[in-house]
Amino acid sequence: MIDRRYQPGPLVWLAILASTCLLLMMFQKVLWLVVPFLFALIAYYLVLPLKQRLVLAGVSHDLAAIAVSLGILLVLGLVMLFSAPWLTIQMSALQAGGGRYLEGGLRFLADTLNWMESSFSFAARAQLADEVMARVNDFSEHFASRYAASAAMMVAVWFPSLLLIPFLAFFMLRDGWRFKRMLSRAVPNAFFERTLFLLDQIDRTARGYFQGLIKLTALDALCLALGLWFIGVSSPLLLGLLTAILAWIPYVGSIGGCLLVVLVAATDYPGNPSVAYAAITLFIAVRLLDDFLFMPMTIGKSLKMHPLLTVLMIFAGGAVAGIAGLVLVLPVLGIVMVFGETLGAVLSDPRLRARHRFARGLLQEKVTADLRG
Amino acid sequence: MFRLFSASKPSSLAQQLAAVGLFSTLSLRELKIVSALIHERQALAGEIVFDEGEEGQAIYIVFSGEIMICHQGKTESPIAMAGPGRIFGELALIDGGPRSAQARASTDCELGVMFRGDFDNLMESHATIAAKISFQLARHYAGIIRHLASGPAK
Repeated sequence: MIDRRYQPGPLVWLAILASTCLLLMMFQKVLWLVVPFLFALIAYYLVLPLKQRLVLAGVSHDLAAIAVSLGILLVLGLVMLFSAPWLTIQMSALQAGGGRYLEGGLRFLADTLNWMESSFSFAARAQLADEVMARVNDFSEHFASRYAASAAMMVAVWFPSLLLIPFLAFFMLRDGWRFKRMLSRAVPNAFFERTLFLLDQIDRTARGYFQGLIKLTALDALCLALGLWFIGVSSPLLLGLLTAILAWIPYVGSIGGCLLVVLVAATDYPGNPSVAYAAITLFIAVRLLDDFLFMPMTIGKSLKMHPLLTVLMIFAGGAVAGIAGLVLVLPVLGIVMVFGETLGAVLSDPRLRARHRFARGLLQEKVTADLRG
Repeated sequence: MFRLFSASKPSSLAQQLAAVGLFSTLSLRELKIVSALIHERQALAGEIVFDEGEEGQAIYIVFSGEIMICHQGKTESPIAMAGPGRIFGELALIDGGPRSAQARASTDCELGVMFRGDFDNLMESHATIAAKISFQLARHYAGIIRHLASGPAK
């Protein structure tokens, strides 16, 4: 009999954590495939409910996948068509103002450091403003010679693999159910119900995570855009969206998003640092909302993880696989956790193993019946 | 014991389902929808399909062969036999609680399996089909209760 209240022991937990780290290390080696796969997975879970509706309305899986993909392409095409003029203005403004924003940010930093030097004696003694500004100037002056070539190479390497995203998403949509069927057919009868439950749990965890991530991004973007619009910062919607997407990378992404907001706010109001401080306050308020309200409402619900484990694994993911590890650690841990717990419940059940051995014996008897004469 | 690839087509599966009491009120289009949720399995004579006390995750349909329902270790006094067109393990569809008896193949069997999670999804996305199946399930139980009630009088 299977114990319904199975709790994984320390060995299973150790295996779960070790497998997660091992997978992250492997993923780092094939990042060119993992990143498009991840985006394709997000797209797949986003449009899956549409396909399921069509299938349940009597349309075949193949036709439903084609119809949904064409529909999405059509909608994206229309959105691109109608938003092209606005996007062109935004992008050209960004391109023209790129240097301006950088200058604005540096000016804000210099002003803040000078204020610190005048207010705190330790900062004045350390010549904080001169020291920091010298380093920043050195970095910005040699940025092109040090990093531009490698950045261009990275774009050249990554661009073809990003083209994989729509193809992967389409085939996931069309053949995902066949893959699940094939997996479930390969499972012996003794383990069948448990494995079916496992596949369902993995599917629900992944779907909950990725759909939660999209909802979280929309909520973050909306709150930030509203706040930035209220403060009076330019392009609030674009800025809110960019910052919310950057927040997909734990910690590092949030810092990058905050810097972006400060750069724009400091440039829009050069003589008025209070706007930049207001933008920082808004950013912190949205992050707090995100951590304590939006995250538990969206992603937290799907993963059901202990907060301490979540934080520790984010650090471990970063240490093992860098930025990719930071982004991937939670979904990978969520899936490995469900897989490990159910595998532990199945393999540690002597009755199921005995039933499997018994079934193999029956098959052996059947196929060798005529050999015994 | 199990097979990797199935040769049967969805349309033939829908025809097989039409002969099952639980799905007898469904239209052909609805049967096609339900057939997409059915997993086909094979069990050898003597093989245990599920154990008494095991957590129930699915309902089973007999397409061919015969299944014996009995208490664990009491194969000589079966509670019921389920032949082609019959269902068993149906309590799992309702509460997912522990199995009340053991199911064991008396002969080589071909079975259909509907996972409880898939039925839950069907209830959310296609309530009419789920309601028809639930109503047939209620009828099935009404029949069992009548049978039990009239049993001692005979």
